[in-house]
Amino acid sequence: MASSVTKKCLSPLAFLSRRFSAPEFISQCCYHKKVVDHYENPRNVGSLDKNSKKVGTGLVGAPACGDVMKLQIEVDDEGKIVDARFKTFGCGSAIASSSLATEWVKGKSVDEALMIKNTDIAKELSLPPVKLHCSMLAEDAIKAALADYRLKQDGEQQEAVRASR
Amino acid sequence: MFSVSSLRTVFRAAPQPRWLVTNRLSGSAAVSCSAHCVSTSVLKKDTWDSNFNFRALGKERELFISTKQVCSRRDLCTSQVKLSCWKCQQALDQTPSFFCMSCKVVQPPEEGISFFQIMDCDYTFTLDTQKLQKRYLQLQRSLHPDNFSQNSVREQEYSESHSALVNKAYKTLLKPLSRGLYMLELKGMRLEEGTDLGADSDFLMELMEINEALDEAQTPEEANKIGQDTKGKLADLTEQIDAALREGELQVSKALLAQMKYYANIEEKVKKKLSEFM
Repeated sequence: MASSVTKKCLSPLAFLSRRFSAPEFISQCCYHKKVVDHYENPRNVGSLDKNSKKVGTGLVGAPACGDVMKLQIEVDDEGKIVDARFKTFGCGSAIASSSLATEWVKGKSVDEALMIKNTDIAKELSLPPVKLHCSMLAEDAIKAALADYRLKQDGEQQEAVRASR
Repeated sequence: MFSVSSLRTVFRAAPQPRWLVTNRLSGSAAVSCSAHCVSTSVLKKDTWDSNFNFRALGKERELFISTKQVCSRRDLCTSQVKLSCWKCQQALDQTPSFFCMSCKVVQPPEEGISFFQIMDCDYTFTLDTQKLQKRYLQLQRSLHPDNFSQNSVREQEYSESHSALVNKAYKTLLKPLSRGLYMLELKGMRLEEGTDLGADSDFLMELMEINEALDEAQTPEEANKIGQDTKGKLADLTEQIDAALREGELQVSKALLAQMKYYANIEEKVKKKLSEFM
């Protein structure tokens, strides 16, 4: 991908020769180095046991670009997120957004993690306007994972209440 | 297939070159007329249906079939802005007009013309791609800027923009996904930019699994198998989308097209994966 990044940045001739293929301006954006870093050195790629009661799984999709994102969190008994993993199939910005999201949620409580906004992610990665929806997807993935965890916890509580009767 | 030189001769000699004026053109004039009067996004379902059914309505067809019957089009659409040639000021009677009928000079692209009209295709999801390709080559033979290197700057610019538009129309209509999305766009609908909050989680899970399997594929055969399965799903979706669009079920079509987008992405990744094996 690094080679394609340089190609994108240093090919004005290629851009000119593509002039006839579309009347509108073709935006040539280079990926920010932070995005490239997350792409080439992704943190926290992988899966957690989705059947575990301590794990919340968020699965989201963006229909316009066809990206799919899975984000999982593992929460300890004090309600603190101790581990997070992601798997994203999509563009570099989507991968970087979810990678950053897993970095940020680690060490936060469930309530603190809910405060993470897509605008913070976008700012950190210097995402161009056309890629803002990728950070939105990451925020929604975090929320979905937290919601799933909550649901499991509520389910567990109800089971405990029933068992004590 | 015509040779380029014979095409040019046909074009110069005949007052109304046949390949620019088709039987369908006058039939579609009613549709394009309304497109001029209102924006293309208001191509109503009933207009589309009537166009779709017009072959069955023999009587109505008589009204539209003759290309000489310019008056019928004018009667239908009194508020249409009359376009005229920029050079000789003669009225441009055809839609779309690539060249002026009297002075033969190239025209700029008109506003509000759909890709289906430009490429002379029926406004349906199922499309004869061979016919589309033929039309594309035909148009580019006369519109391509290379033909205008000795002409005025204005003509060069018009040929450029018209040629680029034909390129865009061809590319959009060639593939089912882009074609379907364009048809939705004409009705004022788009796929959401952000997260699909109503997405079926089982469906997303399945997509994840396919993507993961593709990622982990060790042999070309494994990648091929996934490619074949995906092709099957895409063919299935194409049929479903065709049915939904015929019925005018836009929300259903939109959801199906979103599914198609995911599978189209997987298809692209399969191609990439296979090329890595080489």
